[in-house]
Amino acid sequence: MGTITVCPYCGTGCQIVINEYGSSQHIIGYSLSPVNEGKLCIKGYSGLSYNFSKERLIKPMIREGDSFRNADWNEALNYSASRMREIISKYGPDSVAFQSSAKCTNEENYLMQKIARMAGTNNIDHCARSCHSPTALGLINTIGAGAATGSIGSLEDTRTFFIIGTNTTEQHPIIGAKILRERKKGKNLIVADPRKIQLSTSANVFLQFKPGSDIALLNSIMFVILKNNWQDNDFINSRTQGFEEFRKEIEKYPPEVTEEITGVNPSLVEEAAMMIAKERPAAIFYAMGITQHIHGTENVMDVSNLALITGNIGVRGSGIFPLRGQNNVQGSSDMGALSEFYPGYVRYDSDNVKKFEELWGKKMPRNRGLTLSEMFDAAADGKIKAIYLMGENPLITEASVSKVEEGINNLELFIVQDIFLTLTAAKAHVVFPAASSLEKEGTFTNTERRIQKISPIYKPPGEAKPDWWILKEFGKMLLGMEDYSSPEMIFDEIRKVIYNYSGASYDNIFPIGKQWPINKDFPEGTEIMHSKSFPIGRGKLIPVPFGYPAERADDDYRFIMTTGRNYYHWHSGTMTRRTDILERESPEPYVEINNDDAMMLKIRNGQVITLESRHGSIKIKARITDKIPSGIVFVPFHFVEARVNELVGENYDPISKIPEFKVVAVKVIP
Amino acid sequence: MAKLFKSISEEYDTYGTISEQGEIVFGQVRGFKDIVDGRSKYAPKEFLISRNENILYLPKIEKKAVFGIRSCDLKGFYIMDRQIYGKDPFYTARRDNTLFINFVCREPCEGGFCSSFGGPVLEEYQIQVIPDGGKYLVMVSEEFEKYMKDFKVVENNEIEKFRKDFDNKMEKLPVEGIENRIKWNSKLWKEYASICISCGACNFSCPTCYCFDLYDREDERLREWDSCILAGFTSSSAGNNRPELDERLRQRFYHKYVYYKKSKDVYLCTGCNRCTEDCPVDIDIKEVITHDYSKE
Ligand code: SF4
Ligand code: SF4
Repeated sequence: MGTITVCPYCGTGCQIVINEYGSSQHIIGYSLSPVNEGKLCIKGYSGLSYNFSKERLIKPMIREGDSFRNADWNEALNYSASRMREIISKYGPDSVAFQSSAKCTNEENYLMQKIARMAGTNNIDHCARSCHSPTALGLINTIGAGAATGSIGSLEDTRTFFIIGTNTTEQHPIIGAKILRERKKGKNLIVADPRKIQLSTSANVFLQFKPGSDIALLNSIMFVILKNNWQDNDFINSRTQGFEEFRKEIEKYPPEVTEEITGVNPSLVEEAAMMIAKERPAAIFYAMGITQHIHGTENVMDVSNLALITGNIGVRGSGIFPLRGQNNVQGSSDMGALSEFYPGYVRYDSDNVKKFEELWGKKMPRNRGLTLSEMFDAAADGKIKAIYLMGENPLITEASVSKVEEGINNLELFIVQDIFLTLTAAKAHVVFPAASSLEKEGTFTNTERRIQKISPIYKPPGEAKPDWWILKEFGKMLLGMEDYSSPEMIFDEIRKVIYNYSGASYDNIFPIGKQWPINKDFPEGTEIMHSKSFPIGRGKLIPVPFGYPAERADDDYRFIMTTGRNYYHWHSGTMTRRTDILERESPEPYVEINNDDAMMLKIRNGQVITLESRHGSIKIKARITDKIPSGIVFVPFHFVEARVNELVGENYDPISKIPEFKVVAVKVIP
Repeated sequence: MAKLFKSISEEYDTYGTISEQGEIVFGQVRGFKDIVDGRSKYAPKEFLISRNENILYLPKIEKKAVFGIRSCDLKGFYIMDRQIYGKDPFYTARRDNTLFINFVCREPCEGGFCSSFGGPVLEEYQIQVIPDGGKYLVMVSEEFEKYMKDFKVVENNEIEKFRKDFDNKMEKLPVEGIENRIKWNSKLWKEYASICISCGACNFSCPTCYCFDLYDREDERLREWDSCILAGFTSSSAGNNRPELDERLRQRFYHKYVYYKKSKDVYLCTGCNRCTEDCPVDIDIKEVITHDYSKE
């Protein structure tokens, strides 16, 4: 009757109860869930009808010339596995690559990376590369774990909320709502964002800074803190290292000096600094506004610096909260679907890889694998011959999509597994029809590290199968891997390889989930991490010098474009654009442009204009608003009709390889 | 009650409030003992208005009896009747074939204000039950008296007494005349708009909201529960005539406390408090009633 599962959209991971009886259906938020306490946003309530679209894939398909023919599972799997085997034996294992998905379960991500590594390559990656790879790398470096340090529930104890680079009420609405409820009780709210996001109207302090000046802003906040001696010296002395050197760097950032870079009035910086340091506990939230930059990893480390010097970590109500976009970004990263990490963030070149060799009974690759965008580049160069892609649509979501297209066209074997025939899937040699998350079993790990169970509510259409089933059949044929009989069996293996998951089981995480680390030492899971020490001992303070973004406005390209999501749509829109109410709310691409700029350029609301960057151009309708400052334009990336990523250049963070989606210099042509 | 349940179940498929993983929801029930006497997490609108359905043809409508619906939720249907009964063939067919056995709350629920709208003992009902420590006071409308042949009839004053006791326990809000007091330019609307996340929960949870969205999908014409808080709601080719969120929020409250009162002589609200409970940002509809507009 009532089935509890997890919303398929954002990383908040709200628990939904779908109550189905007779011909009636009712959708509610699960009241006992500590995540959403019975609430949902519109995507949870009205975002599920894509599931019943008649465009769902129902049969495996094999390419024949320009079109596809239907095949049965056996043929499609056999064909794919034997083609891949040929390619591996001809060009070696590093000629194949796997792209996993943060929309898939932990079990599925685990399986896919296992297949890749058993096949002998670390060419396994997924969309976290384009969103939170700087988080994994940055936070593992500074505090030893790339995950939110507290819980959503613990925000009740927070006194100051610092929101930087997340449009929380639109992207993580239920967390945004929680912050607003706390704000109503009189808590402090500091919002730092180039756009006048909804939360900014409720903020005590609004720091409207220029895109890409994050480090200058953060450093000047810390400058004020150190100047006034507001830092937490006990914490710095007992829990961190590197303070003296760090301090030297910070001394270069008086807010009066950085104002020119950030555009923020020094007195506001002062106020924010005071709240974060003095009105503790303070919790810091960030998302793509911090990560999607060529300085993404450094931005994350600077956020971590701020939490460390103010002692805002390890205590209920404080902490660092990277907000995860997809519902399972945390989990898919934990599972090792990343080119530099085996499950549990074991680096490819570390001695601990031995553990996997013992468990899986095979020598494992010790070289660094390719990241998402590198895979397509390598395909274009003819180095990658086969890609197996699950549940992603890179032809819309990747930076420099034209390069992606070139890579795909060059492949000898392109396997795509999805619920719809996306733009990307249409280019495949083989298409596997997958079950949606409402049709399968498994676990997702949300943005606060909570491992939650999902359960099937509907039957998959036609011959569609759960991703874990497809993967294990493929693994059997390609490598003779074991025949997992259920997701639970895979989960039991995950518990053996990832210590932080070792105490979790399908039984004990039901119904409300448990937060990792869950193991011998913390059998009930861990709400607040780092309360006594960091996994790496002392937290590292790392001086982060400011550097400009790769692109800046100049006389030719006078505007800075930043990209992102809107409330109603989800990534490439594969699901939401097939969900009528959501599509109705936001049916077409648009660019937000400031009123004054529009007036100057004589652009009317709704007028189609051209955006041109150094890399490409699109035509798009203007939406005039005062929410965005002069000189900046914003474009959501959901729309196949205007693929904004054609404008995004190949500027990558050298550490995490994340592309700079947030700062692109453009011309606005009426 | 078991006896009453049995005779009803001979004619109807039986549904009722059940407890699942700590949540009170509706589900099929086989005997009276399966039913829990508790307030369900939601108003069971889906018995009469499907969340999502193809309206090109009327499906076979089963006869259903629903035990344990709260008075405030049931009252919603009586209020909606004035607008859609007889007009919406799906609603009407289901309404005619569904028997609601409402349970009256003995104690006020947290935040509820049903007594302000005449609850919790309803004037209009099919079979109304007041649980009384193992005993049940049952009120039956004429049409269903046949089920009560073997039962003892008691004096009405017990119910009067219950009403009085209840009124002592639940404060009444100054609902009377709200349609004249409420203000178009009140600061409330902008205040709400600054925090509302447009989730639609207030509509989906409301036992009196009946609006839907209509769209085509391949060979089907579907309708789905809709929310007037969304910008696309009732938008026309000229766009929405209420482009701003504060205008839409105001419209919702005006519809409930002004327009419906003026056209149908009843407020479009039962005091169930569900919108407030489900609102993720704690917008409290009671404030719309109690707010002192004269000071603005
Ligand atoms: S907040 Fe996120 S997880 Fe919750 S209902 Fe909305 S989209 Fe789903
Ligand atoms: S429930 Fe609250 S947040 Fe959601 S749409 Fe209604 S008023 Fe807005």
